Amino acid sequence: MTSAPVAASAAVLKDGRRRRPHGRLTAIVAILPFALFIAFFAAFPLIEVFRLSISRTSIVDGAFVSALSGADNYVRVLADPRAWNSLRVTLVFIVAAVVGTIILGLILALLVNRSVWLLGVARNILIWPAVIAPVVVSLMWLLLFSPTVGGVNKVFRTLGIGQQQWLNTETGALVVAILVDVWHWTPVVFLFLYTALQAISHDIIEAARIDGADERQILRHVILPLLTPAIAAAALIRLVQSVKAFDEIFLLTKGGPNDATMLASLHIRNMFFDRLDFGYAAALSIIVVLTVLVAVALYTIARRRVRGKS
Amino acid sequence: MRGEDGRRASVPVEAALLAAIAIIVIPIAWGTMLAFQPNRAIVNPDWDFSMWLGNFESLFAPGEPFLNQLLNSVLITVGTVVLCLVIGSAAGYALSKLNPPRWITLPALVLAAFIPMVPPMTLVPGMYLQMGALGLLNTIGGLVLLNTVLNLPFAALLMKSYFDGVPDELREAALVDGASEVRAFFRVVLPIVRPGMAAVAIFTAIMAWNEFLIGLTMTAGGRTAPLTVGIASLVQPYEVTWGQMAAAGAVAAVPIIVLAIIANRQIVAGLTTGAVKG
Repeated sequence: MTSAPVAASAAVLKDGRRRRPHGRLTAIVAILPFALFIAFFAAFPLIEVFRLSISRTSIVDGAFVSALSGADNYVRVLADPRAWNSLRVTLVFIVAAVVGTIILGLILALLVNRSVWLLGVARNILIWPAVIAPVVVSLMWLLLFSPTVGGVNKVFRTLGIGQQQWLNTETGALVVAILVDVWHWTPVVFLFLYTALQAISHDIIEAARIDGADERQILRHVILPLLTPAIAAAALIRLVQSVKAFDEIFLLTKGGPNDATMLASLHIRNMFFDRLDFGYAAALSIIVVLTVLVAVALYTIARRRVRGKS
Repeated sequence: MRGEDGRRASVPVEAALLAAIAIIVIPIAWGTMLAFQPNRAIVNPDWDFSMWLGNFESLFAPGEPFLNQLLNSVLITVGTVVLCLVIGSAAGYALSKLNPPRWITLPALVLAAFIPMVPPMTLVPGMYLQMGALGLLNTIGGLVLLNTVLNLPFAALLMKSYFDGVPDELREAALVDGASEVRAFFRVVLPIVRPGMAAVAIFTAIMAWNEFLIGLTMTAGGRTAPLTVGIASLVQPYEVTWGQMAAAGAVAAVPIIVLAIIANRQIVAGLTTGAVKG
């Protein structure tokens, strides 16, 4: 059925010889701005980061002066407990934030899918957090969790509960940072899974129901298996997204107390812009980039394996 | 009233959803409300409400950098949207319909896939040197260029998916009728993908408006910084002006939420495709 139009359009292309070189030129002109832009503003910084990472760089008379230093910066990073701490904090943050958003996003998708009265309102409001600037999101939560002026403490006082100091404790600050990230990005997972849920045919669910399956069995044996690919895709998206987290923590905790929320991105910024240790910051950047690439590659391979089996 | 598949409303489901909506709305409402409170009321450990516009008045007072920062953010957003639309549409069209040579597309696509995957912070040291060499530190132009780099892969990808939905026969018919490639693009294909352009425009606008890291690292703050950096700089170690902070946050967030209400469809398209970009 589809082969006839395909063959026809191929014929048009084949005898369109006069047009072809012209079309080729158009193609190059159309793609070139994109290619040049990406090459200039992505490849160049990337090369610069790599060059910084293998150089000793300092500022002399307002200009960067570099001398090659081999693996020195990498050795310094790998010997620094603060670098390891930032990687450990990042890992904890990523795992908690990804798991949290996936579970809540899934629950929200299932709820909205079953909702009648709140369907329209919920579909609109549930995406709000994802469009607000991360800086504003952390500001909003600071206004709630601040030990001195936060709204939470006003509620606690009214209820006669002791005042919370969560942002001033190491575990508390990390938990609040994760909560804020979960609040901010659950909408993306929700949207993703809700779209996937909508794509599941009602006939399959109806057939299961006629076969005598109750709601719980349908959820467990029909809906969740069909959603698994979407959940895996959402997890990858969230993984990549949470490695990038910076803005929220920068305002909320600045990495403290005692580096308890010092994500790798924050540590890189501090080393580059506050300590002016450019080589260290660049070497840590390269280490993070390579780790992300390896993690994404492993995840993709694992997903292919699983898909190949089923 | 029945749901999409004809089921009755379930009270526990609606109640749980109502709780979720409350969890989303309460922090937003609280922050917006504090924008209208004097500092005295905010630091008061007891409940103390009033209606006061002083925070906005002092934010926009002459001599304060806030108005400049607001203007900077508008300019950065407009510039980024225009560049992403122009370059992204051309690239999306080429990738979808024109079959450009692989020696250009392959390296460009590998890099374009790479950018959204790594934390922008890891590129900042290199970008800082590059912007310095080009004399673009502390300029709107520099921020527009870097925001465009971060959003262009997504813009091109989304535009390509919309161009994929346009039948090839349409373009070919226009060419057979004697239209030039350029004319066929602007007169025949582009009008069809207007919804895609709207989605790209709205989504890149939100991303550029919300951007913080590049603004923080490529400017010295003050009048050269975008709005988000201005908000963060209000958090001073010695004197925190909570009311002004809340007011600045409201100025940044309210337009975006209004946009989310009226352009919900485009934002959903952007979020589900754009999430890949993050």
